[in-house]
Amino acid sequence: MKKKIVAMLLVVSLAVSGLVGCGSSTTTGTAGKTNVEVPTEPFGDTIKYDPVVEINDGKDITIELWEWGSDDLFQQVIDGYTAIHPNVTIKLVNNPWEDYWTKLPLSLNGQNGPAIFNVHNSYHENLINYMAPLEIPLEDLQADFTGVDAHVIDGEVYYIDYGMMTGTVYYNKEMWAAAGLTEEDIPKTWDEMREVAKKLTIKDGDRLIQAGLNFNDDFHQNYLLGLNYQLGTNLFLEDGRTPNVNSEAMKQVMQMLVDMYEVDGIGSKDFGEKGADSFGQGQSAMVIQWGHYYNTLQTTWSNIDFGVFEIPTFDENPYAYNRYNGESTFGVNKNAPADQQAVAQDFIKYFLANDEIQIEFNLAMSTFPAKKSLADNEKILENPSLAVLAEHIDRYIWPGSMPSTMETSLKKAGQDIFYNGVDIDTALNEAQENIIRDMENSTFTSVENLYAHAE
Amino acid sequence: MFKKSHPLQSKSEIILRNIVVIAMVIFFTVFLIIPIGIAFVGSFHEWNPLSGTYNFLGLKNYINVFSSELFWTSMLNTLIFSVVVIIFRVCLGLAIAYAIYSSIVKYKSFFRAVYYMPVVTPMVAVAFVWKFMYNPQLGTINQLLGLDINWLMNPKTALLAVMIMTIWKDFGYAVVMYMAGLYSLPTDALEAAKVDGASAWQTFRYITLPLLKPMTLFVIITSIISYIQAYVQILIMTEGGPGTTTYLASYIIYDEAFVKYNFGYASALSFVLFVITAVFTWLSFRVSGTKE
Repeated sequence: MKKKIVAMLLVVSLAVSGLVGCGSSTTTGTAGKTNVEVPTEPFGDTIKYDPVVEINDGKDITIELWEWGSDDLFQQVIDGYTAIHPNVTIKLVNNPWEDYWTKLPLSLNGQNGPAIFNVHNSYHENLINYMAPLEIPLEDLQADFTGVDAHVIDGEVYYIDYGMMTGTVYYNKEMWAAAGLTEEDIPKTWDEMREVAKKLTIKDGDRLIQAGLNFNDDFHQNYLLGLNYQLGTNLFLEDGRTPNVNSEAMKQVMQMLVDMYEVDGIGSKDFGEKGADSFGQGQSAMVIQWGHYYNTLQTTWSNIDFGVFEIPTFDENPYAYNRYNGESTFGVNKNAPADQQAVAQDFIKYFLANDEIQIEFNLAMSTFPAKKSLADNEKILENPSLAVLAEHIDRYIWPGSMPSTMETSLKKAGQDIFYNGVDIDTALNEAQENIIRDMENSTFTSVENLYAHAE
Repeated sequence: MFKKSHPLQSKSEIILRNIVVIAMVIFFTVFLIIPIGIAFVGSFHEWNPLSGTYNFLGLKNYINVFSSELFWTSMLNTLIFSVVVIIFRVCLGLAIAYAIYSSIVKYKSFFRAVYYMPVVTPMVAVAFVWKFMYNPQLGTINQLLGLDINWLMNPKTALLAVMIMTIWKDFGYAVVMYMAGLYSLPTDALEAAKVDGASAWQTFRYITLPLLKPMTLFVIITSIISYIQAYVQILIMTEGGPGTTTYLASYIIYDEAFVKYNFGYASALSFVLFVITAVFTWLSFRVSGTKE
């Protein structure tokens, strides 16, 4: 009898542990809820939010909001919204990034998916079929936010960008000073950048001790897919579908990277596995990284005293400075019950109209606000990685939600050039062929033609 | 005294048997046969379950697989990887198992546990540790050997580095298998060899090794199946690089399915790999002269 009981307990415990193991998502409660000031007057620019208007006729309703990180930030928005609408309960569900993009589309395809969810535009093709269009008038969105046109699909908008992220140069201030450099030496052009990098490079004979500039493992994201714009060349041809990665501009950028390491000797393909880590570990004096790196430095490598400056250019007045990518607003699940969708739509309106939340989100992600009225906001400009973008923010291009093959194929091409001895023409031609093959079934079309200064 | 009843004589035993058999049939049907069937049908489609795309393509995915240069490169890499790792796994495993089995070694359980520890350690954890050990500036391997090699990004050493890590992690499996085989050897054959004056080498070469043939075959076949599916170490240590130098067949499947969401092409690759695995397993039986 005793054995049977033990066996039963084992079976039950195994079943329970098995079920627990099925999912790793966590639901955040409202235990940490702080006192929130409840607005009584309508707020916002063109998109206005009126807190007096009831939602769901004042009846209790519960919805889920799915995201992959930054729980406190999302909870802050939820707390603000539910303080206005105490009849609404929003359960915050966190799934790790790796699981999120598998679980979310499958969940949205069913009956019990979240009413509202965080979006990353790199997964656009997997999500768009499950999304309901925003009910905010298009002209209102266009009036308040930049880059809206690039998100219009058949006259509807499903999500927009609340912030724009791009690359800037991070430099180690101690190394900068040790090399005898001052603020006056901050380079504006690539030629100046290479000269500065030479001064920041330290060698012991042939052995590199400190790299002036390190782009290992991220050259494809931070250089190849962006500097082409400085030379007036888009990533896609006029049809918006054919990649243009074996262009003369791309070859020129690639050649410059090779020369930086092999001619200037300001770094090495074998020094510092990843440029970002190498800078954080105090091995490299400069890196070009995107906005999120600002927060990474402050949290992971807080001992590094760093400064930021805008990415150099080939000419004084480039066609564009670089590529940017948008941090997206939430999506609404079109398969959710109508009352839940109504709450989700209202929640997004609250999010877009609320300047404080927009500032909080942009600072947390180190993105430049897409909301036009916040472009010169003091809090935003206190962040150096955003301040350096302010002057030319209209000179950055979003090519659209590019398929991942654009990055992976160019990474392979770069590795072939640096490590496998393949010549630039051959490697970029191969990348071009790979991308064309991978995009055969893709619905992607570039929106480079929507760039404000498009020629 | 307890009297053993005839198998399945009692009604309760028959019920239990039926429950167990039905449970197993349901389990394998739901988690194995149906998914394999879905993947097989999917291999003839342009298929992305996340966006809901499902368009019939006929044999196009299979044609693309065989016309892909990357597929053949990865197959060659998989062949090199599997052959080298299996040879070292079998030889090291047999040598160390025989050493532990011999009368001169004490604390046999201790050594058996030590060699088996890497086997039960998750591949993800091991791969991360070895990746750090291979770091050209900070890694212990370069520091200990006084070298300056970028192990994982040098096309001449990248696959070798991954193979060394895999051998270290996996040879303990062969040690334990061979020890089980050695302890089950018929003592009369070994004693007869001793009486006949056979040397230690002759005993090993002509008695022990032939008797361990079924275990060797088992280790080789399970290794073939395991290494044709290897991708975790590649994913963590090299991501197939530099370029495509360390792409293994299973890594392409991962890349196509979970990076590009090209499930149709990934399914076609999986079935090609399934056939290749079956052929190699059959060949192993043929070469060893064992049909069962």
